[in-house]
Amino acid sequence: MGDWALSWRYARRELRSGLGGFRIFLACLALGIAALAAVGTISADLLTGLQRDARNLLGGEVDLRLFNRDLTTEERAWLLANSQAFSATAEMRAMASDPETRERRLVELKAVDKAYPLYGDLQLEPPQSTESGLELRDGAWGALAAPELFRRLDLELGDRVKVGTETFELRGEILSEPDSAARAITLGPRLLLPLERLEAAGLAQPGSLVYRHWRLVLPEGEPFADWEARVKAAFPDAGWRIRGLDKAAPSVARFISQVRLFMTLVGLTALVVGGVGVANAVRAHLDSRRDTIAAMKCLGASGSFIFKLYFIQVLLLSLVAIAIGLLFGGLAPVIAAPFLTDLFNIGLGGPPDVLPLLRAAAMGLLTALLFALLPLARAQSLPAASLFRGQIDMRRMRAPLWLWPALLVIAGLLVALAVLGAADQVFALGFVGGAAAALLLFRLAASAVIWGARALPRPRHTTLRLALSNLYRPGAPTVGILLSLGLGLTVLATVTLIQANLSKQVNEELPKDAPTFYFIDIQNDQVAAFDSLVEGFDNATGVERVPMLRGRITAVNEIPVAELEIPPDSAWVFEGDRGLTWAERPDPGMQLTAGAWWPEDYRGATKVSLSDELAQELGLGVGDSLTVNVYGRDVTAEIANLRRIDWQSLRINFIMVFSPGLLDKAPASHIATVRIDEAGEGALADAVSDAFPNVSGIRVRAALESFTRMLDSVAAAVGATGSVTLLAGLLVLAGAIAASERRRRYDSVVLKVLGATRPVLAGGLALEFLLLGLVSVLIAAVIGGLAAWVVITQVMNAEFSLLVAPLLITLGAGLLMTLVFGLAGTWRALGTPAAPLLRNE
Amino acid sequence: MIGLKAVTLTLGSQAGPVEILKGIDLAVGAGETVSLVGPSGSGKTSLLMVIAGLERATSGQVSVGGVDYAGRSEDELARLRRDSVGIVFQDFHLVPTMTAQENVAIPLELAGARDAWKRAAGALDSVGLGHRLTHYPGQLSGGEQQRTALARAVVAKPSILLADEPTGNLDGQTGQHIIDLLFSLRAENGATLLLITHDPVLAGRCSRQVGLADGQIVKDNQQTAAVA
Repeated sequence: MGDWALSWRYARRELRSGLGGFRIFLACLALGIAALAAVGTISADLLTGLQRDARNLLGGEVDLRLFNRDLTTEERAWLLANSQAFSATAEMRAMASDPETRERRLVELKAVDKAYPLYGDLQLEPPQSTESGLELRDGAWGALAAPELFRRLDLELGDRVKVGTETFELRGEILSEPDSAARAITLGPRLLLPLERLEAAGLAQPGSLVYRHWRLVLPEGEPFADWEARVKAAFPDAGWRIRGLDKAAPSVARFISQVRLFMTLVGLTALVVGGVGVANAVRAHLDSRRDTIAAMKCLGASGSFIFKLYFIQVLLLSLVAIAIGLLFGGLAPVIAAPFLTDLFNIGLGGPPDVLPLLRAAAMGLLTALLFALLPLARAQSLPAASLFRGQIDMRRMRAPLWLWPALLVIAGLLVALAVLGAADQVFALGFVGGAAAALLLFRLAASAVIWGARALPRPRHTTLRLALSNLYRPGAPTVGILLSLGLGLTVLATVTLIQANLSKQVNEELPKDAPTFYFIDIQNDQVAAFDSLVEGFDNATGVERVPMLRGRITAVNEIPVAELEIPPDSAWVFEGDRGLTWAERPDPGMQLTAGAWWPEDYRGATKVSLSDELAQELGLGVGDSLTVNVYGRDVTAEIANLRRIDWQSLRINFIMVFSPGLLDKAPASHIATVRIDEAGEGALADAVSDAFPNVSGIRVRAALESFTRMLDSVAAAVGATGSVTLLAGLLVLAGAIAASERRRRYDSVVLKVLGATRPVLAGGLALEFLLLGLVSVLIAAVIGGLAAWVVITQVMNAEFSLLVAPLLITLGAGLLMTLVFGLAGTWRALGTPAAPLLRNE
Repeated sequence: MIGLKAVTLTLGSQAGPVEILKGIDLAVGAGETVSLVGPSGSGKTSLLMVIAGLERATSGQVSVGGVDYAGRSEDELARLRRDSVGIVFQDFHLVPTMTAQENVAIPLELAGARDAWKRAAGALDSVGLGHRLTHYPGQLSGGEQQRTALARAVVAKPSILLADEPTGNLDGQTGQHIIDLLFSLRAENGATLLLITHDPVLAGRCSRQVGLADGQIVKDNQQTAAVA
């Protein structure tokens, strides 16, 4: 204890000279902690906001959703009797047009009743109630639209807008909508209509892609679970999706959790990169205290005393860095709130959550210890005799045996913190494993560079020789720079390649035979007219049309979905309604991988053709069965064959294609794809919309652009975190340069005395950093490429292409920054005047 | 070989400008051995620095080997040192992260000599360190470090050798050995030697003694001899 007290006193005395020498230590650690804390507090704020605003987002305490079906009289009566309040809405995509100019636009239509919204406010401009905005006034029903629709159709308040066969008066702009959590893909601006006019406008027809929602307030004091059990018991085959407050916006919550996981892991990488800077700073500090340590040992200080003295200093400095990092992390939600509130439609900016701050602090402390312990332990072995012999390389000192298990425990705790809190632990573990492998690879590469620079025949060119010898000289920062810069560049290369691949697939890689339009909601009685209209366009090709309805898988091999263990990759198939179709014949290009197609005139027990990818994930094969609820009725079908689906073709694809018979009796609409050249696009869209007001045309490119926008905002967030990793790498570089500045000054003076010119010295430095940067960039390209390949092909199940241009731009910029940082940091050494350093009078 | 006319050197300090050299006139012929003696702070090292081109004279004219320093850039002076001047310091000033052989090879390599590596080994061998080629300065004793510095100073066969108290950090016996080496290596090349020392015996080994006090030459036995 006395030893610790004395160490504490000495540590404080040493720190009296200020923290100036520890700027890089503090910056490296604080940056990583701030990144982790910010990701943690912002995502916690978002998730808390989701919970807090759950009633608004869900639109009630319970949301019941049915696909294209109104409630039966019994269902309506039951719900009215078992709720305190009740509101009905319907959502679909439709075409809205200006009746005067005939300009049209796809809209996200929501038809609402008078009770809407049950919770929250629909903010309108000019301010008015929903009811007065939509009511029948002077012979016209009202409509409310997002500002974008006014802009796109060049409409003003009081103008008319035509939807389906009905015309509405635009009475207000929607400023905010309480029950619209961030939707990943929106194909058009929002348009609100009165629910009672949906049928009259010819929009809700049998088989139309309409989702009907009933939001209600639970009976006083009744928990959701009890209510859910009662409604299920009362209507076991209703086929509705029931959501309570715990799942107000599950896809948003999942999205936030996934982005948080990825950004946390990238933040952790930044912290680890910063850790290299911590190690360098501690080593440099101990190097500068070499004489002090040796002198204290001469005076009787033990190795453990020396260790404690500097361990306390590292702890104190870590606490300062943690405080700085947490300050930034704590403020992050307040800074981000204005941007995210609009994006996610939830109230943000409350007091920061403590848990992510604690987590970031713990990770910061563990990282500092992980990287500082080795130089600390080695310093305790520094012999007193080093006072009389200069240049003992501290890195050659033997570390005490206790160090290795201690480092293992710390690394284990760090990994546990990263993995245990993650939503997807397998992914997190994979990431940590990958990062560790990358770290090891860069370490090996550093050794190879040092070995190679030493083993190469001494080049005749002075500049090159200087640069090469700078790489392997004792105390050269090669290892630290390669590790930190390499990891930073790897993260950036990975993020760049993933982003570029996704953009490419969405934007550029439209297959030649990709359709231009999807037309949805074509009714049975419109099929013939639609076909002949499209045939009338000479330049329209690739016309495909299939019947479509929607249903939800309720059982597999007669086992209810709730009792199944579903792999996470396939969970989406069971979460909502899926599009279904039926066919007599297989599609001409169809590739069966198992089983056989049913005979053309087959009318027996229902069979289904299933996606082979899904079958593989679920462990299903020919002969197994699926039960699908369609319009409240369970249909069980035997799997007749498995089919390969190429989603990237953008053609109409269905996971499940049924045999005709049972399903073709159900009310369905048709979906059609048409490919047409750009000149004909407008005319075709107009013609279809004029002839079939209920049919909506979705431009494939517009849909993909919407998808790209969503991807871009995620990529920007992840890219920003990735940049933090590179920034940490550059900080380490700056630290390494600062640590070696004294040596470089001395060397440059001695070399100048011996006749070296400034161009020769500057060339040597530039080449040194160029070589380091080039090696980092090359390895980063390989590891980054590999990591991006894994994410694209294994996690996202997409096709990977090695996009050289964005990779080169990113890594080139990284290389340039390395050079600039390196030279800027060492330039001063070149200008050091010789005389003062050499004078010994 | 070395010519200084009315050379002054004034350096800035916190207490104001300090006049270090006050009108030095000195001419040293080729092959001469000159000792610079004088009390600490008399300006000996500064004079050496000016001659080496490491410090710029505030006024006056400096020429070495026929090259007038006036208007010469830092890099031109560096090249002059590389080709014509060898310097030995009291503190050795070896590059600590380079081996003995690497240190000695520097001037040759900077001059682009193809056989730099071999000649550096030869030079170290000639100072008795042929077995220490791969050792770093930290692994050498003080005497060995100074011998390495000596090898480095003479390896390019400079026409001028400048030595600033080369034995100041060494014990008597080692110092004697270094001085013997210095004089024999100088003799081999016939180089001009300018040697700063506090040791009258060592100063006596030079053909000429120049005494400095307070930035001025107060004694020059060649001039004395000429006057006599």
